[in-house]
Amino acid sequence: MNKVLLANVDQPDQTNIDKYRERGGYQGLQKALAMEQTAVIDEVKASGLRGRGGAGFPTGMKWGFVPRNTGKATYLLCNADESEPGTFKDRLLLERDPHMLIEGMAIACYALDCHLSYIYIRGEYEFVAYTVQKALDEAYAAKILGPSLMGKDYPLDIFIHLGQGAYICGEETSLIESLEGYRGYPRLKPPFPAVSGFLASPTVVNNVETLCAVPWIVKNGAAAYSAMGTEKSKGTKLFSISGHVSKPGTYEVELGYPLMDLINNEAGGVTGGKLKAVIPGGSSVPVLTAAECEGVTLDYEALLKAGSMLGSGGVIVFNDTVKMPEVLSVIADFYAHESCGQCTPCREGTGWAAKILRNLVAGKGKVPDIDLLYKIADMMEGKTICPLADADVMPIRSFVTKFRSEFESFCAS
Amino acid sequence: MIQFNEEAMRRYQTIISHYPEKRAAVLPVLTLAQREFGWISPEVADYVGNLMGYPPSDMLSVATFYTMLHKKPAGKYHMEICRNVSCWLMGTYACVDEIKRRLKIEPGGITPDGKFSFALTECLGSCGTAPAMQVGDRYFENLTPQKIGEIIEKLSNE
Amino acid sequence: MPKLTIDDQEIEVPAGTTIIQAAMHAGIDIPHYCYHEDLPIDGNCRMCLVEVEKMPKLPPSCATVVTDGMVVKTRTDKVKEAVRGVLEFLLINHPVDCPVCDQAGECRLQDYYMVYGLHTSEIPLEMKVRKHKAVDLGPMVVLDSERCVLCSRCIRFFDHVTHTGEMQFFGRGDHVEIGTFENRPLDNPYSGNVVDVCPVGALTSRDFRFKCRVWFLLSTDSVCGGCSTGCNVRIDHRDGTIFRLLPRRNVDINKSWMCDEGRLTYHKLTSGERLRLPAARGRDGMQAPMKWSDAISLVDTTLRDIASRHGQNSILGFASPSATNEALFLFKLYLGDRIGTSNFEFRLASEDKDATAEEDQVLRHLDKHPNSIGAAGLGLASDSLGGIDGAIVAASEGRIEAAVIIYLKPLVERPADRDLEAKVAKLVESLEFSVVLTSHKAEWLAKANVVLPVTQWSEEEGTYTNFQGTEQAAGAAISPGGEILPIWQVMARLLKTSGDERVFSSQADIAAVRKTASAES
Repeated sequence: MNKVLLANVDQPDQTNIDKYRERGGYQGLQKALAMEQTAVIDEVKASGLRGRGGAGFPTGMKWGFVPRNTGKATYLLCNADESEPGTFKDRLLLERDPHMLIEGMAIACYALDCHLSYIYIRGEYEFVAYTVQKALDEAYAAKILGPSLMGKDYPLDIFIHLGQGAYICGEETSLIESLEGYRGYPRLKPPFPAVSGFLASPTVVNNVETLCAVPWIVKNGAAAYSAMGTEKSKGTKLFSISGHVSKPGTYEVELGYPLMDLINNEAGGVTGGKLKAVIPGGSSVPVLTAAECEGVTLDYEALLKAGSMLGSGGVIVFNDTVKMPEVLSVIADFYAHESCGQCTPCREGTGWAAKILRNLVAGKGKVPDIDLLYKIADMMEGKTICPLADADVMPIRSFVTKFRSEFESFCAS
Repeated sequence: MIQFNEEAMRRYQTIISHYPEKRAAVLPVLTLAQREFGWISPEVADYVGNLMGYPPSDMLSVATFYTMLHKKPAGKYHMEICRNVSCWLMGTYACVDEIKRRLKIEPGGITPDGKFSFALTECLGSCGTAPAMQVGDRYFENLTPQKIGEIIEKLSNE
Repeated sequence: MPKLTIDDQEIEVPAGTTIIQAAMHAGIDIPHYCYHEDLPIDGNCRMCLVEVEKMPKLPPSCATVVTDGMVVKTRTDKVKEAVRGVLEFLLINHPVDCPVCDQAGECRLQDYYMVYGLHTSEIPLEMKVRKHKAVDLGPMVVLDSERCVLCSRCIRFFDHVTHTGEMQFFGRGDHVEIGTFENRPLDNPYSGNVVDVCPVGALTSRDFRFKCRVWFLLSTDSVCGGCSTGCNVRIDHRDGTIFRLLPRRNVDINKSWMCDEGRLTYHKLTSGERLRLPAARGRDGMQAPMKWSDAISLVDTTLRDIASRHGQNSILGFASPSATNEALFLFKLYLGDRIGTSNFEFRLASEDKDATAEEDQVLRHLDKHPNSIGAAGLGLASDSLGGIDGAIVAASEGRIEAAVIIYLKPLVERPADRDLEAKVAKLVESLEFSVVLTSHKAEWLAKANVVLPVTQWSEEEGTYTNFQGTEQAAGAAISPGGEILPIWQVMARLLKTSGDERVFSSQADIAAVRKTASAES
């Protein structure tokens, strides 16, 4: 497997622009600048790259939706608001290979005819932002950014914009709303950001990992990228693995890699007991029982078929000392805390579900409360402005269904 | 009368120069204001509103949306410890108990000398090095109750 | 024009119409909180979800534009289930304040619950979110944020109509509360409108607080008497007492709004003592009550006498720009045709206040009378006199001997206008013979020869012409009773006594004659 993203991440000086270039950095950008802008989009389309933030939408297609020659500015926004529980892959890229992101953004901006771009970094990653800013400063000094893009008459500015603590701002329209200086309330779609996003202009929001894959794709060609992975899930992905494993961390594997191999090989195996359950893609995806993990491969289609989702690739491993209702209560508290409050079902539903679970876990719940959780999930699902409510529904339904007896045992008899 | 000093004013000017519309600078400016004044009090919201030309209610409304902007005075060291899944699995609450024991405050509280405050927060992106906590622009990871003690000690002497 | 099938009804709508608007045209009610015809779309309440063929999820009808061939269903089980779910969510943290909440009877939570809900609450009281109650937001508004459904209508009102942004959301998630900066009182001349737009009892009127249950109120359509804008209003009253004024939607004039001063004008109606009986000054200089028939005869006889001795133009008709067109029409008919004068005035303002001059960018005009344009249109402004000042001079110089004056106190006061009543008093003093038609007692009335008790705004049916020249009907909501008469009736009696053969027994009679008169001119 070719390491697309983590090839140089262990080199301590990778953040230095000269070292970055020595190791082949900014060659992708150079190649892109010699192509037609639309040809760059075609290359990314052909690679099969899909959004790595969680939604998995084909990146080239997203870029292709942006209308050209509207007279309005086009914006590329990098979503570095990584806040999905279990996910810490973007942090690694930002901390250890920021120039790769800058290069990817520069290529994307060129393809989209964008001249002003922002990296929306979650506020908690302020210390990480220092590193990224330093890399940006180096890029400007090397005239890669600024009035000319690596010598080409194409001005490009990239600025960092720090969030201040709101998971919802990882949702693209909420990110745009927050960047515009408001409370991070997601927006109604349509209109879609490609047509009307930041300042009512065509906008593309891409995840850090997605943009970091772009330089490699342009430099080595779409065919080389799509040679990796499965038929519909091309390329490689970063998986953050944590919980009851002996070597937690972020690993890059080809899509289609078996989940159990990631757990047992890269992550060194389950610790403190037998495997009980795995959340494969961040807290917003349905949980898998140990049995369900057998034979499952890490790609979009296989996980969907297994009843879960690839999501952000945040893998959390649970051994058999864990009480699943307690885990669900922690997750439910998260969504209740992070619900923006704009629309009724999510605002009230996440709060209510969290309270029921807190009660249950404290031993004060009753069996009908369990069915009430299903009811709340049904009332929230598909009726909200953004998918945060659905992100609460997935864990609630899957935990309660697959571990029902544990929930019942918590109930006051 | 609170207002930005010269240095802060310069930063303010730099910030607004990054955006095609001034409104987009609101969050970074509120962040700057918190850096200068400690927390977003109604007075601070009023100042920022007047400075930028927006109603103070609007500025306070924006501030109250974001967890990292304080709505009440925070300690010199504001310890935010993650309570989410992986950290919880790996022992957050033992660390929380240690903080409570040493500082004698509950989450949301502040020590009488104003040096420490602490809160439970959501996933910090440190799941592989859990439990983790954030203090200002620093992360402390792979926490144990003992390490908590050492960190508090260290910060007390800074 | 896209065609849409909604609940099996096929209709055609202008391009850009949303489903909820199309539904309204088709007479279909889609439940909603956050949608408001005069505010930007927000789509947050999720009550207006409908089923649209080919759409996998239920879209919000307020935010979905109709496309040609669209098929919409608003009453399927799926929709009802979704709406019931949203209602249940709203009600889990909503306090059951109905017994003490003014919104009861016109509350959309109550109304929709009866149609879509009728479920039993499944949340224990201890779990309920608690928020601030009975927050004083100033003279017009009381806030109870626990009742709030967070529809953001009030926020959008202050953002987009008055552009002042007082109300905002504070917090996040299910602890969000609306409020002002530090919950300071609202200091905005349009603050009362947020009480109207609030679909529940979160924002209630301080003025109306606890005064009357809405189901006891009768409503009469009218036009505000506060200024020349002519906002359409609804007078809510019971047993002869007005309890509140609410705006009625008029797309061309006031949309869904009215100003706070306008809302409170009804208080002016009951300030001071009412004039109850006709009275005339005897030879001893004291006024004594008399019967209407005697008073009418006295006025007509005396005016004729003065006209014959000093000339018809020695009589002045000083009208009120707060009287209805019908009253003023008959006023002109009597004094102009029967008595024969061509001297008319109505302008009270010290400067010539243009009835179209704006006081702000939202609604209010400087002219605090509802019918200046109507009065001018009827020819009641004199070129030679130039307003009340000129009239006073003419009277003191003896060029005007007598006058019939209609005086109605402005319902909205401005400091500059305070001396205007004194001017009317001065006019009366300067005349040999004065007849004053007015509503309230005043010291200066003792100087008048004849005082006639008449109705004021809300008591007299008629039309007013606003600053745009639009004539609008105002209903009579209450009747003062006793010997007080509508101005138009007093004029009709004078006409009859003077020998006019036409019968003016109703508004329709007047309208018919007005129509003929304008056709002839």
